Amino acid sequence: MTIAELIQLGGSVVAVLFVVWLVGKMGLGADPRIADDAHAIRLAEEAEAGFGGIEVARDRAGFAAIVRNAAGRQLLVRAHGNHFAARPLDTNVMGRLDKDFLTLTMPERTFGSVTLHLGKDAGMWASRMRDLNCG
Amino acid sequence: MDKLPDPVNYAVPAFILLLIAEMVISRRADKSRYSARDTLTSLMLGTGSQVAGALVGAGVIAASVWVYQFRLFDIGIELASWWWAWALCFFLDDLAYYAFHRSAHRVRWFWASHVIHHSSQHYNLSTALRQTWTGFFSLTFLFRLPLFLIGFPPAMVFFCAGLNLIYQFWIHTEAIKRLPRWFEAVMNTPSHHRVHHGVNPRYLDANYAGVFIIWDRMFGSFVAERDDEPVRYGIVKQLGSFNILWAAVHEWVGIAQDVWAAPWRHKLSYIWREPGWSHDGSRTTSAMIKERWAAGRASEEPTE
Repeated sequence: MTIAELIQLGGSVVAVLFVVWLVGKMGLGADPRIADDAHAIRLAEEAEAGFGGIEVARDRAGFAAIVRNAAGRQLLVRAHGNHFAARPLDTNVMGRLDKDFLTLTMPERTFGSVTLHLGKDAGMWASRMRDLNCG
Repeated sequence: MDKLPDPVNYAVPAFILLLIAEMVISRRADKSRYSARDTLTSLMLGTGSQVAGALVGAGVIAASVWVYQFRLFDIGIELASWWWAWALCFFLDDLAYYAFHRSAHRVRWFWASHVIHHSSQHYNLSTALRQTWTGFFSLTFLFRLPLFLIGFPPAMVFFCAGLNLIYQFWIHTEAIKRLPRWFEAVMNTPSHHRVHHGVNPRYLDANYAGVFIIWDRMFGSFVAERDDEPVRYGIVKQLGSFNILWAAVHEWVGIAQDVWAAPWRHKLSYIWREPGWSHDGSRTTSAMIKERWAAGRASEEPTE
């Protein structure tokens, strides 16, 4: 790279940081929550057309939910930025129960792990995760 | 080779001003149109793309000059005497872009490079700058080679390509709803391009145009935006991460893993078949999603 290109690159990085700072300063953004079971089912349907969710375990704060369909498949939906992202729950997902909390660790490291506050239902959904792993 | 300036460099200040103007509009209309982390990812991917371009630019120019020596016609570059060639070059370059862009959505090898641009769930002017790092590696420059074979000078083609890129910047916005009917009929617009970025089954694999939407109308890939179905943006399997490096290379990693794991006779198919294809049918392509969606709609319609 030439000196001129390096200067141009430095200018670009400064401009990027300025714009991102401005986004924060202007208060742009959102805090998306899953409002209710119907919302969770709709989000699962958007993530996977024809999924047909019938049962939902929704995090108390609405950050995430597990949606199950009639065939027994489960989809994890969680907030991502201003929107939502989803992943299927299969045998590669690790579930850990801690009283009312169920933590799901995805095999995809960049997707991260998700802790859902499910209250007394946490145990039931954790056992469903165990059933997945038992095949 | 004749040398012309890169018009994109001159457009950058306007890009930044328009971005800020769109942010001001979003503050009033809908604050969720922007997210600081998403904007950072988009703009850093754009910056990385600049670096990648600087590193491989000489290679692309060398390839184009080499092909140009086999040209069919001698076309000059002076605007006054060759204005029609400039106009034709811009027009044909846009057709070449359409061919590239359609392939970029239908062939996983090209998609691996292009997916970066679609990986945001937002649709704003920063999304326009979310550009590939691996375009040269994926050989996307091949689509422009016919222009050099015809005889358009490389400098003219690259200048027209720069203008094409500049045009495509402003259409990445939700701030503009619809433009006059005659303009929507001929040109690519924010409305048409919103559809292109949509993951709703209805909107998948549509509107590949760069500047002129006529290519989609001619080749059957045009879908109009509907007021009763807002566009949901991103990719079928949303990235779920703001990791810049992962956004840039995730599909390449996916290809490598699939090719490694696949039986020998299916290995190449994971490179040249459409995104979502799998040898055991365990994944879904956009065509399968559309079929499933259409079947669901048909079953919902009342029967006599």
